[in-house]
Amino acid sequence: MKNKALWIAVFLLPTIIIFLIVFAIPVITVVYTSFFKWKGFSGNMSFVGLNNYIEAFKNDSTFRKALSNTVVWILLQSTIHVGIGTLLALILSKKPRGWKFIRTSYMIPNIISASALAMIFLNVFNPQFGIVNSVIQALGFENFAKNWYFDFSTAFPTVTISWLVYAGLITILVLAEIMSIPESIFEAAKIDGASEMQINLFITLPMLRNILGTCVIVSATSMLKEFELIYLTTKGGPVDLTLNLPLYLYKTALIENNFGYANMMGTTLIIMGIISILLINKIFRLGKSDV
Amino acid sequence: MDMLKAVKELNVQEPKIKKDPKLIVLKILRNIFLFIIIAISVLPFIWIFISSFKTNAEILDSALTVPAHWSFDGYINAFKLSPLHKFYLNSLIVSISSTVLNVFFVGMAAYVLARFEFKFKKGILLVLSLSLLLPMTSLIHPVYMTIKKIGLYDTKMGLILVYTALGLPSSLYILRSYFLSIPKSIEEAAYVDGAGFFRTYVEIIIPIAKPGLATAAVLQFLLAWNEFLYAIVLTNSQSNRTIPVALSYFTSQFSFNYTAMFAAIVMVSIPSLVAYVVLQEQVVSSLTAGSVKG
Repeated sequence: MKNKALWIAVFLLPTIIIFLIVFAIPVITVVYTSFFKWKGFSGNMSFVGLNNYIEAFKNDSTFRKALSNTVVWILLQSTIHVGIGTLLALILSKKPRGWKFIRTSYMIPNIISASALAMIFLNVFNPQFGIVNSVIQALGFENFAKNWYFDFSTAFPTVTISWLVYAGLITILVLAEIMSIPESIFEAAKIDGASEMQINLFITLPMLRNILGTCVIVSATSMLKEFELIYLTTKGGPVDLTLNLPLYLYKTALIENNFGYANMMGTTLIIMGIISILLINKIFRLGKSDV
Repeated sequence: MDMLKAVKELNVQEPKIKKDPKLIVLKILRNIFLFIIIAISVLPFIWIFISSFKTNAEILDSALTVPAHWSFDGYINAFKLSPLHKFYLNSLIVSISSTVLNVFFVGMAAYVLARFEFKFKKGILLVLSLSLLLPMTSLIHPVYMTIKKIGLYDTKMGLILVYTALGLPSSLYILRSYFLSIPKSIEEAAYVDGAGFFRTYVEIIIPIAKPGLATAAVLQFLLAWNEFLYAIVLTNSQSNRTIPVALSYFTSQFSFNYTAMFAAIVMVSIPSLVAYVVLQEQVVSSLTAGSVKG
């Protein structure tokens, strides 16, 4: 083969160029400029060391709220969200009537654009004509009126619901893994007199350790990317009750043009991602065999 | 055959120890759970769909009625009140272009990374895969700045470039695994026959790898079609905005025309829904392959 090395380079080049423009250079920029005071489009940057970080963690209560919301959502998503998806996968793996239909329907909210889902939810929970309030009123609470997304007492849970209960991806991933377990293992357990519950708890779940770890990583890190479902509903409000880091970053960068500070948040998000992945890897001993 | 199988399965399913009250309670709980799952998945969408055929007055009057006359006014108004057809076209252009570019370019890289040994190969593979774990929300400002600097701000080209990159890590993983599963002897025969490197890739590898390419393409298309964050960050004019962004514009534009807004939501969701239902097995396998990194 002539010029093999040249061809390899040519084949790699487009991907590497795209990678550099959209990932590599931006990551370096985010981390580097997080140590600068850099406001507006003038291009005046002054090195301030860790000041952006200190300012955020010490004095910026909005940042702390956005950070704590993000952490709470990561915890909820890695536990309840993965739990719901896994429970459904365990049930569907027994192939009850209509299991394929359920698997398909449950993916719908995950497959349509999150912006469409946000708009659907905004209307479902609309205080005037939303179906949630209408159903509650029809059940006899005629004067019930709740502005779910904009009331202090309900904003956080209402926003959370819009991703917490939709674990279609988790169900699909876990279900695929369960179905790859050889049938003979379950049969042997049945012959030994194990009940269905015992089989689920002591045979299936331990065999799912790796996929569950992956699911927890996918779910936890998805909360570092959550944007539309907040931006199109509460916009982080009321006050900053439902603000998360991506949304605060977006506002800081594109509305206040406070670039150094925004990139401090970008760096924080990257670090949170790395910590989550390392921690989950450790908890689930990913990539290690059981023996 | 399928019927027979189904009947057999049903028979196996009904547990013989049906009288155990604990089992009955469990079964009821299971059915309630399944019912709730179906309800939360489809009811909101069905409600939006039915409401999109109501009049504004009917929507405000009661959420629990069906329209007196099924009218398409909402849909007609949605197109009248906004350049919805333009947004549709933009979404199509951006999604199709980024899918073609992504699968073509990443396919080339995945091919050499699957087949050949060269310096820094492991390093390149590791660095490219790491981007899968990167929260893209963290890069809003530098991506915005870079795209502005290279003159692609508020252009479809800018969106295409960024979307091509967003799907890079998962496409690389899917395609590389696929190429690894193709026996090497097939191309070796081609090389012996004197075919060049590029020709071998285009004429021999691509046709064999079609299922793998399709899997990557489905995932990439859905990603591009549904993407919202970078669409609002990188565009600001109607002439370049995509369908998901159009919705946010609908909220203010149509604040008093609910019918049109409901119709718009339906029209934004339908393409992804149809793509999903038609290509279901493909989507499921690409999601499984794309999320479970090696």
